Amino acid sequence: MKRPTPSEPSRRQGAVSRRRASAVPDRRAPAPKPKPRATGPGLGSRARAWGRHHRAMLADSLQRLVRHPLGSLLTMLAIAIALVLPAALWLTLDSARLLDAELDESATLTVYLEPAVDQAQAERIEEAVGAEAGVGETRLISAEEGMATFQRSLGLDDTLMGLEENPLPASIVIHPQSVDPGAMEALAGQLEGLAGVDEVRLDLAWVERLRHLANLGRRVALALGVLFGFGVLLVVGNTIRLAVESRRREIEVVMLIGATHAFVRRPFLYSGAWYGFGGGGLALLLLGLGNHWLSLPVAALAASYGADFSLPQLDVAGSTILLACSTLLGWLGAWLAVSRHLASIRPR
Amino acid sequence: MIAFEHVGKRYGGRFEALAHLNFHVAPGEMVFLTGHSGAGKSSLLRLIMRLEKPTRGRVVVAGHDIATLHPSQVPFYRRQIGVVFQDHQLLFDRSVFKNVALPLEIQGLEPRESARRVRAALDKVGLLHREKALPVELSGGEQQRVGIARAVVNKPALLLADEPTGNLDPHLSADIMGLFEDFNRIGTTVMIASHDLALIARLKHRILRLRDGRLIADEGAV
Repeated sequence: MKRPTPSEPSRRQGAVSRRRASAVPDRRAPAPKPKPRATGPGLGSRARAWGRHHRAMLADSLQRLVRHPLGSLLTMLAIAIALVLPAALWLTLDSARLLDAELDESATLTVYLEPAVDQAQAERIEEAVGAEAGVGETRLISAEEGMATFQRSLGLDDTLMGLEENPLPASIVIHPQSVDPGAMEALAGQLEGLAGVDEVRLDLAWVERLRHLANLGRRVALALGVLFGFGVLLVVGNTIRLAVESRRREIEVVMLIGATHAFVRRPFLYSGAWYGFGGGGLALLLLGLGNHWLSLPVAALAASYGADFSLPQLDVAGSTILLACSTLLGWLGAWLAVSRHLASIRPR
Repeated sequence: MIAFEHVGKRYGGRFEALAHLNFHVAPGEMVFLTGHSGAGKSSLLRLIMRLEKPTRGRVVVAGHDIATLHPSQVPFYRRQIGVVFQDHQLLFDRSVFKNVALPLEIQGLEPRESARRVRAALDKVGLLHREKALPVELSGGEQQRVGIARAVVNKPALLLADEPTGNLDPHLSADIMGLFEDFNRIGTTVMIASHDLALIARLKHRILRLRDGRLIADEGAV
């Protein structure tokens, strides 16, 4: 099919455009030239206008939220629930970290002396051990003392009483300066070479196990945090998507009369941030309620173990971080939803 | 102000909405665009508003080639053009005043200056006393006037109207056209798409006639 190219318009069209080549309105004096468009407003007034619109949208988005209290509350509650689980896990791990420090405190080496070593020799060996590099505090446990402790802890007084001589050697308990497993192994080897030392035991396996467990817990918390963070994005994104849909006509109109994408996006971003903020606040409330609900049985349980343990609580800094994160997530969810939908909205 | 050079517009690769359009509109002119429905009037206006790009040729409006306009510049381009729609596109959730103030709000005008201009525009269309009303409380003719006030409130150099009298009786239609003539008299370039032939023949302005997407006549005022 032959189409005329732009450089060779059809005859009729050419004739038409030639006839109107010098298009001047007639019938009246030549119209005055339109006033040149006022040059754009200065930077200062633009910034003020920007700030004004931000404030207006901050208030407007809050009003919209309040106008539909039940819907807003449900959205916030969904966000709060998504936030509570990782937050609670994080808190638990945080208190486990305190426990971890106590574990470090209790990481010790036990040096068993040869059975023939008497009390005086044992004291000299203790001094020698204490002088070794990497050794912190030391405590000598005599054979008799060891026996007494053993009997007490096993409740086997009678059985052991029957023994003619004490089968236990004297021992020295050492707090190493470094609780690093490698350093402790090295120290053990070093101490084993000393005269009068039979064996050095370091029971690291359970410390290691606890540590691995704590690491696992931290990873699980992180994964849950990321997962539930996505959950918050989806919840907010979906809510905002519906809001955009319900204001579609308005968006089309303002885009027709020259609104930028940023202008259209702004109220929705504030809505998202409000949802996130409200959700974070509710999550704090839920955490507080949960703490209150569990604190009595936990205290009773801890007391039965003779321990002084209470449930961890979010401090001001932690609460602020939670609120900031949830607000940011809400904002981000809104941004993703609006941006995706703006592309599909075209003024008719 | 408006230059169409060998403009063609196809939709979906087959339907040719506009073809071989050549015309110029000088600043300060008032032009009617006419033709049966489907002749391409709306397509032509949509090109000027940069809702679409031409598939061939060039459309230059106020010095901007609309095809090369960067998407981020489009909003600022549209602010130079006031548009009146047949269905006036008012927002029904806010008052007449806020509807008219919308373009100024978008431009970030200071509220006091904005209010002054909104009242001036409403005064011009004779609806100053209805500024607090909601659009649904107004008659069709009044709604169209609000649409016009919104189109002119930021003093655009170019005013477009798509069938602005489509739903109005002849008397109201003449009133509305009179308003457009007023704005034209103070220097605004006006282009009105209308199929109300009797009315526009009386008004004696330039008329562009379209048929099947082609310009079949360009009649100057008598």
